Amino acid sequence: MTSSFPWLTTIILLPIVAALAIPFLPDKEGRTVRWYALVVGLVDFALISYSFWQGYDLNSPDLQLVERYPWLPQIGLNWSVGVDGLSMPLVLLTGFITTLAILAAWPVTLKPRLFYFLMLAMYGGQIAVFAVQDMLLFFLVWELELIPVYLLLAIWGGYKRQYAANKFIVYTAGGSLFILVAGLAMAFYGDPISFDMRELALKSYPLALQIWCYVAFLIAYAVKLPIFPLHTWLPDAHGEATAPVHMLLAGILLKMGGYALIRMNMGMLPDAHALFAPILAILGVVNIIYAALTSFAQRNLKRKIAYSSISHMGFVLIGIASYTTTGLSGAVLQMISHGLIGASLFFLVGATYDRTHTLILEEMGGVGQKMPKIFAMFTACSLASLALPGMSGFVAELMVFIGFATSDAYSVPFKVLVLLLAAVGVILTPIYLLSMLRQIFYGPENEELVSHEKLIDAEPREVFIIASLLVPVIGIGLYPRLVTSMYDATTTQVTALVRQAMPKLQAPVGILTIPARQPTP
Amino acid sequence: MEELLYQYAWLIPVLPLLGATVVGTGLITFGEWTSRLKRVNAALVLTLMGIALGHSLALLWSQAQGHPPYYWSFTWAVAGPFHLDMGMVIDRLSSLMLVIVTTVALLVMLYSDGYMAHDKGYSRFFAYLSLFGASMLGLVISPNLVQIYVFWELVGMCSYLLIGFWYDRIAAREAAQKAFIVNRVGDFGLLLGILGFYWTTGEIEFERLAERVGDLLTTGALPLWAATGLGILVFLGPVAKSAQAPLHVWLPDAMEGPTPISALIHAATMVAAGVFLLARMMPVYEHLPGTLQVVAWTGAFTAFLGATIALVQTDIKKGLAYSTISQLGYMVMAMGVAAPAAGMFHLMTHAYFKAMLFLGSGSVIHAMEAVVGHDPDKAQDMRNMGGLRKYMPITAATFLIGTLAICGIPPFAGFWSKDEILHVVFAANPGLWLVGWLTAGMTAFYMFRIYLLTFGGEFRGLAFGPGAMQVEELAHMETHGHAAEPHESPWTMTLPLVLLAIPSVAVGWVGLPFANYFEHFLEEPASVLTVGADWAHFDWGEFLVMAGSSVGVGLIGITLAFVVYGGKYTGVEPLAERLPKLYEFLVNKWYWDDLYEQYFALPLRRLARQALETDYRIIDGLVNLTGLVTLVTGEVLKYVNNGRVQTYALVILLAVLGLVLVSGWFS
Repeated sequence: MTSSFPWLTTIILLPIVAALAIPFLPDKEGRTVRWYALVVGLVDFALISYSFWQGYDLNSPDLQLVERYPWLPQIGLNWSVGVDGLSMPLVLLTGFITTLAILAAWPVTLKPRLFYFLMLAMYGGQIAVFAVQDMLLFFLVWELELIPVYLLLAIWGGYKRQYAANKFIVYTAGGSLFILVAGLAMAFYGDPISFDMRELALKSYPLALQIWCYVAFLIAYAVKLPIFPLHTWLPDAHGEATAPVHMLLAGILLKMGGYALIRMNMGMLPDAHALFAPILAILGVVNIIYAALTSFAQRNLKRKIAYSSISHMGFVLIGIASYTTTGLSGAVLQMISHGLIGASLFFLVGATYDRTHTLILEEMGGVGQKMPKIFAMFTACSLASLALPGMSGFVAELMVFIGFATSDAYSVPFKVLVLLLAAVGVILTPIYLLSMLRQIFYGPENEELVSHEKLIDAEPREVFIIASLLVPVIGIGLYPRLVTSMYDATTTQVTALVRQAMPKLQAPVGILTIPARQPTP
Repeated sequence: MEELLYQYAWLIPVLPLLGATVVGTGLITFGEWTSRLKRVNAALVLTLMGIALGHSLALLWSQAQGHPPYYWSFTWAVAGPFHLDMGMVIDRLSSLMLVIVTTVALLVMLYSDGYMAHDKGYSRFFAYLSLFGASMLGLVISPNLVQIYVFWELVGMCSYLLIGFWYDRIAAREAAQKAFIVNRVGDFGLLLGILGFYWTTGEIEFERLAERVGDLLTTGALPLWAATGLGILVFLGPVAKSAQAPLHVWLPDAMEGPTPISALIHAATMVAAGVFLLARMMPVYEHLPGTLQVVAWTGAFTAFLGATIALVQTDIKKGLAYSTISQLGYMVMAMGVAAPAAGMFHLMTHAYFKAMLFLGSGSVIHAMEAVVGHDPDKAQDMRNMGGLRKYMPITAATFLIGTLAICGIPPFAGFWSKDEILHVVFAANPGLWLVGWLTAGMTAFYMFRIYLLTFGGEFRGLAFGPGAMQVEELAHMETHGHAAEPHESPWTMTLPLVLLAIPSVAVGWVGLPFANYFEHFLEEPASVLTVGADWAHFDWGEFLVMAGSSVGVGLIGITLAFVVYGGKYTGVEPLAERLPKLYEFLVNKWYWDDLYEQYFALPLRRLARQALETDYRIIDGLVNLTGLVTLVTGEVLKYVNNGRVQTYALVILLAVLGLVLVSGWFS
């Protein structure tokens, strides 16, 4: 099936090369350039879909569409790309969200050329992060994708954009140094010296080295995901970003942390994972509850949703720590699902802000009467975010819950504690999300707001963007196999790998062991 | 032909979903245009629900003929070796529920056409109604706990949307959120219970779960205390959904929704879902006597609690809401003594007569609005009503039938089902019976109080007798009404009332104690109904004592109500005069809401604020100050001030891109 055509390289380079042509476009008012960017985005998304449709075998857990060219042989750097079940859905998600983000950026009038240049550069950079299979290259693209985000934040953000952008770059760039250190250590340990991720995964490292590398990776990815207490850059960055950048931040960038955790910490360092998994579960619970509480207290709309993202990422951690296929599958699904839901919520926040020109909840109120469509869409997306069944978030959280409940890696009290606390999140999430809806849309109109803001309802472009995001959200919610089948082979393989290194518990017979399930008739 | 009926049973929930999707999509894409198609939308939704009703009736008939239960499932989610099935089960319980839900839903939809005729959200209302219908129908055919949970939350969502339907009203906005969150507290328990059962047994399907729990209990692999605990966790779901104490507080507030919603969702169907789940879980609960004790006493306590608060309500819908809480308590109590047939019987009769009572109250409110204006505080206050029997005879007659039914007066439907419950409960525990019996007396009193205040005496309007209203209340009263007298509602509203009156009278006859088709139907699946009157085994003496005592206490309640409210209403509550402390206690709803505010809402808000403070001051500060981060921040900030950092970053980006393209790519 593997054709010789370099699909992935094309997919990565097309938006970047197209971006380089932007300065030469004949464009006076900044209208051509947005169409140009949109078409490039669509073409690339079509290429992604086509190449996966043609060249990707869902039943194989291995890397596919692999390409490998020596780039700088002097330092052992290879251009090595490929996708497996873990990266394939995320690449698709990236193409989808970024294209929609370009459409969401339609009203941008400040420096449109630079803006769309950066958006297209992001497009390629993000896909590269998920597709590259060489540690050194991974570090490079990881760094590279930070710069457009930095600029997008620093130039088009809110009032405190400089502070937010700097904090973002310092946190993530600082964190990513640890990737380089750990990557180099792993590459130069033992034989052969190689940056290739598959070879790195096959090597066996002494436990001490594994622990050091695990901690280093964990710090880098904890910043990105983010994990408490390294999350504080995120409310600042999200509080200042514009809607399209927001969509990318929440929709894709956060997922890089989860992706890399699974790819590297689980896939390459299983022995260290056995030691750290309980810590991840605890951090997951902390993320869920702590961020839900801060979100509830937050009066700034953007920051509120930002904290809710942190809270949702807690489920990814619990799934990763569960040692079950179900849990890991739930974790991956939670990333995809949050990519869609987070992007839609942030887009709607932006759309609301465009009309109310305030993000402070107390200054809104009764907005739903003038903007029923935005109200309806906001409600639908909030319900999706609070894991309403029939939408993707519920399936993801349910699978994480079931995965952790059926896990045989933990003692009963530990499991009960984690499940109980994670389920507290089930109560807290609607409290802050519905309070938010109540404060923005319900009740009598805020007269002060109405007196000086024209509240125009959603335009078709906005309805289209939300509809595009909600269709997969509901599709997954109704029939999760649509998406889980994309990565099931790979998550099964990764789980089998980490389970080999799993601590064997002296389990009392009975409620700890999962009794064999009778076959369904 | 019969098999086709079963194979296509999935259409029953899917058809209303289709209706909701069509109208909903229309509203969001072509808002104005779709709303203008008012009746077309309603007709579509009604037709689809009508088809679902026909299909359900056919299934019920087929089940009654002894058709074996029909199971169908598909694999919904897969992860490695794990898989989760969804599907449907059409057995006697689910076919019965299908018929109850579709009949009430269809009549409520017909009624809504009249009730919501002048509302600008008319089409949206029908979309929500249809969505609710789909969710509720999906719930009752669920074959396993996870699918129940899915639809459980979906009906909760519809309830949230519909309570907040008039979203510009402050009370509606608070009530909607409260309903969702209180229900989530119950769902929290339900979810943990499902997870716990799955963890310990690996099963979520009811029959197999029950079998497995039984096995594990006998081998001792699963301790009884753990299973009891899991059973109670699952029961938390029904506690919230069926408004049992202490999670009942959302239901009275939910009356802020349009009245048809109160009838359909918050009286007849959704709130009964908890009772339905208990019936489904009964094979499991039969192994768990401890859990059943908790269920029974929760139900008894709730029945009592609801009835006491209903005694002092002045809002007609709130009065009916507390009565619903109380009646749901009866059903839960029946489940707690492991008599699911009795509980389900009351669920069925209650669905019909309570839906009718609520629709009747809607008709009253509709009439009152014409006089006192569109203000729920005025239009729903029974102190402003009185004498409506003269103006709206159909509403009054049907309301009286419903009142007699709920009071347990033979031969109306409520008598047979309530008596059945009191009967089984007495056999299990006379203490429970005593609570139920006292509640029956209170029920008769408060229901006739409502009837007499609304329909008896003379019409009071806003200018009623002295003392009935506080002076300051009167001060800011403005009359927006456009009619001097209330009038009977249009036929789309009265026809459903009349149609619902038929089952309110007669549906109890399927469960006569001496010829109990209903119990036989539910408890002996896949058999032909061949119940003749079984006089030989029927104990007339026992029946007469039991029925006599409950009818007796009912008559005492009715008599008391006539004594107090039969004459001219003076606006003075005798209870407030005689026992002011008790009256305060009841008017404040036993202070439940205040307790929650003080011990849940306030501390949570404080905790959240503290968490945010911590985040700003401590976590952020600490991490910012740590090691390398500080250094780099300092370095970067130097460039920030002169704004050159953007240029640098851009240069770096371009340089790296250049490197990618030029250096060594083709080498």
